[in-house]
Amino acid sequence: MNGPIGAGAVHAALACAAFGAVCGFVGGRRRSMDAWRLARGATYASFAAMSLAILTMVRALLTHDFSVWYVSRVGSLETPPFYTVISLWSSLEGSILLWGWILTVYAAALAFVYRRRHADYMPYTLGVLLSVSAFFTWLIAGPADPFEPVFPVPSNGPGPNPLLQNHPLMALHPPMLYAGYVGMAVPFAIASGALLRGRIGTAWLRPLRLWALIPWTFLTVGIVAGGWWSYEVLGWGGYWAWDPVENASFLPWLSATAFIHSLMVQERRGILKTWSLSLLMVTFLLTILGTFMTRSGVFNSVHSFSQSSIGPIFLAFLGVALFWCAGLLATRSELIASDGALPGPASREGAFLLNNVVFLAFTLTVLLGTVYPLLAEAIRGVRVSVGLPYFNRMGVPLGLAVLSLMGVGPALPWGRSDAARIRAQLLWPGLFGIAVACGCVAFGVVQPLPLLTFGLAGFVTFVTLREFWVPTRSRMSSSGAGALESLFHVVSRARRRYGGYVVHLGVVAMIVAITASWNYKLKVEATLDRGGSFRIGDYDVTFRDVRPVEESHRFSVVATLDVARDGEPVAVLQPRSNHYKIMGQFQREPIGTPAVHSTAAGDVYLTLLAFEKDGSQATIQGLWQPLVPWIWWSAGLMVLGSFVAMWPERRRRGRARGGVDGEAHAPRAEPAPPPGQAGAAAAEAAR
Amino acid sequence: MKWGYVVGAAALGLPFLALLASGFGKDPSAIVSPLPGHEAPDFTLSDLDGKAVRLSELRGAPVVINFWATWCIPCRQEHEVLARGAAHHAADGVQFLGVVYQDEPESIRRFLARSPVDYPTLVDVKGQTAIDYGVTGVPETFFVRPDGVIDSKKVGPLDPQDLERRLGPLLATGGGS
Repeated sequence: MNGPIGAGAVHAALACAAFGAVCGFVGGRRRSMDAWRLARGATYASFAAMSLAILTMVRALLTHDFSVWYVSRVGSLETPPFYTVISLWSSLEGSILLWGWILTVYAAALAFVYRRRHADYMPYTLGVLLSVSAFFTWLIAGPADPFEPVFPVPSNGPGPNPLLQNHPLMALHPPMLYAGYVGMAVPFAIASGALLRGRIGTAWLRPLRLWALIPWTFLTVGIVAGGWWSYEVLGWGGYWAWDPVENASFLPWLSATAFIHSLMVQERRGILKTWSLSLLMVTFLLTILGTFMTRSGVFNSVHSFSQSSIGPIFLAFLGVALFWCAGLLATRSELIASDGALPGPASREGAFLLNNVVFLAFTLTVLLGTVYPLLAEAIRGVRVSVGLPYFNRMGVPLGLAVLSLMGVGPALPWGRSDAARIRAQLLWPGLFGIAVACGCVAFGVVQPLPLLTFGLAGFVTFVTLREFWVPTRSRMSSSGAGALESLFHVVSRARRRYGGYVVHLGVVAMIVAITASWNYKLKVEATLDRGGSFRIGDYDVTFRDVRPVEESHRFSVVATLDVARDGEPVAVLQPRSNHYKIMGQFQREPIGTPAVHSTAAGDVYLTLLAFEKDGSQATIQGLWQPLVPWIWWSAGLMVLGSFVAMWPERRRRGRARGGVDGEAHAPRAEPAPPPGQAGAAAAEAAR
Repeated sequence: MKWGYVVGAAALGLPFLALLASGFGKDPSAIVSPLPGHEAPDFTLSDLDGKAVRLSELRGAPVVINFWATWCIPCRQEHEVLARGAAHHAADGVQFLGVVYQDEPESIRRFLARSPVDYPTLVDVKGQTAIDYGVTGVPETFFVRPDGVIDSKKVGPLDPQDLERRLGPLLATGGGS
């Protein structure tokens, strides 16, 4: 029964989304509250139907209902329940089902949160969002139908792709990435709604920012979790390879980051409006492009697990979305004309714009590198891919530019400024950065690029921490409160700004960790007899034994090694080599699982390369990966920063701002809630 | 109304979309082999009974060299296509050769006992022939013209239509006897 129930639910969701989209557009155009209410109701119904569909699929997977096409493709009796559930997103159709469901979650959340606010443009917004939702639901109902019946019903299936059942991080990485990808449709819909409505004011910028930050955070987690998964599973010790599908997730992240920054300038100064909106639309288009890259089979990638016929459909959708964006900007250009001019390059605004240029250059660089194989084949008739050297050569200077701007931007005041003040702002951070670089030289770092990176990191850290410290200190001296209490007060008065700074600290930590792990990695490969050992970094690794382990879904060879530091045992590591069962037969090509001992200084990373069948000997690759754990931890810092920035502002009840509080250092860091927002709510309440 | 945006989107977007569309129907992971158009590397390999087969001695007839293994699921799917193809084209003088890649003679024997073929199955003990032919995985199949020059190479399992299509030019160059 799972098949018909699931298919029925998907069709119901499609009908609701299509009906809701029409109601949304009608409600927006005629300013009809009835239509707006119907649109919201249809949104909730579509969410409920898609939830039923996805639960039905989970049930079909768990009960091994091989009469459902998707289960017959990715299910197997041997796969453990955990991996059976997450095989929901191990292949195309399930991924799109999850994708469509997440979109209805966003739509329902948006309809609920703004049921009484922003009623002037929200119906349009919901109309746009439900149109996108209807497209995805249609894909699930037709071209990528996971519920299609299978006859004759097979008795077992192949199970999910072995790579995807090799690590629990698979439970985190794709859903986070999808939540990020799909979520970018929401700010796109908000902007489309506001532009369709016409008279826009500034009220819509707050929801826009919030709903851009939410998917941005998911995307950040998704990308880092993907790197982590690759590090923990693929066994080559790397976490990023500039693979087309990795790039596909990085592209919208870059443009969304640029958008979040330019939106701040727009909110504060009323400039860069067209620019910001274009960045937002580019971000949305890049998420669709990313889906295309992953699923069309046009790009060569470890991630393109299925070649499918939906490529042309996505390409058509991308084209429609592109012209929708261009049409909106064209017909509404007078609404988004700037209120003023840029005050000059040596200002916070100038730094923001430069940041945008760098991010956009980064986006184009990655995009060019990704589509280069297609371009070369179209023009020269040969297939060449640019690979790692291109991305590293281009990415390193752009990354360094981003790093520098994270220091220079916050140090510059808003508006025009004189050279003396800028010098004063940059002097101490600059000196600190130079001191950090000198300190690194003392520790033996001599290559220019790492030195430059570490020095710049010191510079940025100084600037950022000073932004916390100066107002905290003045709060302490004015109120007599303790340091932590004052810091809390300062941050809670300007959450968006300080949240942003916390994210910056996370990015600095990540760039430092990436630089260290790239430049100071150590590698040893040794064939060891029992009791034999090798040394890597400060660690001694001793081979104990290697033995087979059989589980229901795989057969593994597990090596056991003792890791000691200065003679003290610190860990027992078990790198393994797994053969997964496909259609009752173990696959021949093994999938390794490296074993990692993590410390704050870095990871000892062991991979089993080869072994003697009698267990007497094993070939082990040992890597010392300095600072790698900081990459994952810094993502935590970035998420924390986004939460601080997203947390709703406390309502200030007309209280005069004290002269010496958190805002004293940078007055007007947070604009008061725009009057339009309260006005819209009152207007609706009055109706 | 600023038409510039629409014109810009069309000028930049349409070529980009066309570029993406140009990738449809192609295999992005295909590795271009330099071998077609060149003489097939010669080899002397023994079959399961120890009887030696030398490629250059088959000159004058079209040869189909199929690299395969029993552990390879697509090879098993393709096996039937090759067996029928070899039987069908035996009258045309086409010589099929199976070269077993990284496999145990015991499992080959077991497999062939169940699904026999009428052409020699050669064992590439050290994998040297696979290296000479630049084999990156199995199945891979090479189509050699009667003059000993490789006509085409197929990566992945053959289907009957593909086999016929690739045999066509070999037979046309006077391979039939």
